[in-house]
Amino acid sequence: LQLDFWLAPRGLGYPVDVRVPFPSLQPLKAHLEANGISYSIMIEDVQVLVDHERTEMLRGRRWLPLSTNTFDYATYHSLDEIYAFMNLLVAENPNLVSKIEIGRSTENRPLYVLKFSKGGTKRPAVWIDTGIHSREWVTQASGVWFAKKIVLDHKNDEGLASVLDKMDIFLEIVTNPDGFVFTQTQNRMWRKTRSRHSGSVCIGVDPNRNWDAGFGGPGASGNPCSETYHGPYANSEPEVKAIVDFVKNHGNIKAFVSIHSYSQLLLYPYGYTTTPVPDQKELHEISGKAVAALSSLYGTNYKYGSIITTIYQASGGTIDWAYNQGIKYSFTFELRDTGRYGFLLPAKQIVPTAEETWLALKVIMLHARDHLY
Amino acid sequence: SPDSGHKYYLQFTTEDYKSGENAGSCLATVLYPKAKSPPVVTIKCVRTKDQKQIQEEDNTLYQKIRHQTKPIIGNNIPDSYGNIEPALEPVWALAVAGSSYIMWEKSTENLGYFMAQVKSAKQWIRKDDFVEFDYTVLLHEIPTQEIIPCHMRLTWLPGHPLKVKYFCASDNQGPEDGSGTESGSTAGILHARGANF
Repeated sequence: LQLDFWLAPRGLGYPVDVRVPFPSLQPLKAHLEANGISYSIMIEDVQVLVDHERTEMLRGRRWLPLSTNTFDYATYHSLDEIYAFMNLLVAENPNLVSKIEIGRSTENRPLYVLKFSKGGTKRPAVWIDTGIHSREWVTQASGVWFAKKIVLDHKNDEGLASVLDKMDIFLEIVTNPDGFVFTQTQNRMWRKTRSRHSGSVCIGVDPNRNWDAGFGGPGASGNPCSETYHGPYANSEPEVKAIVDFVKNHGNIKAFVSIHSYSQLLLYPYGYTTTPVPDQKELHEISGKAVAALSSLYGTNYKYGSIITTIYQASGGTIDWAYNQGIKYSFTFELRDTGRYGFLLPAKQIVPTAEETWLALKVIMLHARDHLY
Repeated sequence: SPDSGHKYYLQFTTEDYKSGENAGSCLATVLYPKAKSPPVVTIKCVRTKDQKQIQEEDNTLYQKIRHQTKPIIGNNIPDSYGNIEPALEPVWALAVAGSSYIMWEKSTENLGYFMAQVKSAKQWIRKDDFVEFDYTVLLHEIPTQEIIPCHMRLTWLPGHPLKVKYFCASDNQGPEDGSGTESGSTAGILHARGANF
């Protein structure tokens, strides 16, 4: 019968697992039933699993890049590939780049932040995060590109070099790793975290409604099954709490940028209230300059303004919290495109998107450097 | 009555969904009455393409679909990485046109939509000249951020109105009829970039 025992017979009363070739199924079943031996089917078709694993492995192991110079920035990568990239980048540039673990996700994945620093102790710093909403794939991909860009340009680009002379840059590329893995394995459109909270079968909290700024107010949902569920309480999500703790402990963050897609917008606080921020005028001016710089590269059109006046009311948002912590230069980007591909932005647009966005980021960083407070 | 509800004045340009080139400009007014009834719309557009060119493009699209020897089926268009197989482009284009009817009917003063993905497409071969497809499309709903699956059945023949029947997961009633009354064209599929949206 060519039976393949995966759990071999040990003795009376012990279970046995066996893989059965298709032609032997009927004879084996007949034999077991004739002898009163009960059985259950654990895997209907092993070939399906094997095929699936093969495609997964082919995709994931195209060839492991041995340096960040052979890494393909113009394609979407898995979490493992991005984490491997980070290690490579640090290994190649130990005097500029280090990796910090700021916490763990719900599913116990490490939350990593890259620190770019030319020295000093707790210098004033810029914070950038990408991938807080897992389905917004162009953002994590852009984060990877930014990391490499900083390393490439930190000496020869005047603007960047001057920023790093005075400030550090912190970059969290995969801010929501559980969600990210879920978009790759189960549901490409997953947005939230993967936490379970008692009282509901639904999973996940919107990490951009979970911050302590107007938490639970209009502009978020109290329904755990909703895509904008704010969670049971502010900072309930470890992904959010990790950043809160990091920022508070650091105490010297001067600019905070949280990156999303899509819509092509540059936004500043507030989202939870129509009350303008005290620094509205300055933030509006910076936004205008940043957007002009962005557009100068490929003509990509961006709109800008406060969250609540430009898109809609949203409570418990990241940059509202950051601003209320005293981080004046708090911005959110919504990257390409405006809906034709939406979340499914073709990979060939990753690098152009990252390139143009970087120009806007430099405007913000340079302004912060020149107006330290 | 003219003084109730919210009225919006829009001026916007349109672009070809496939090529991105300018397709014309429009002036419109949209009145949302206080009661929960559909909006009152007036619109006037100036197209950059002439009728003949639109017809030609429609026919090209139509022939691409009719040329297939087997019923076309497809899933995940675009795929997770934003790729659309060239052979499935016409299927996607029709889905965009059909979805626009759904989104037109579903949107309100406070709810907007984008077509996020064609989850599945299956062609039904007909004895007459019409092309017919069964789709599952995913709509991205703003500001709720929900992904709404809709089942859409679409029939089309160049020079005839696009016929759309649909049922979305969030719909409470029976299947909706999104059929247009004018000639449907899939050339110059309009993607509006509004001054107001």
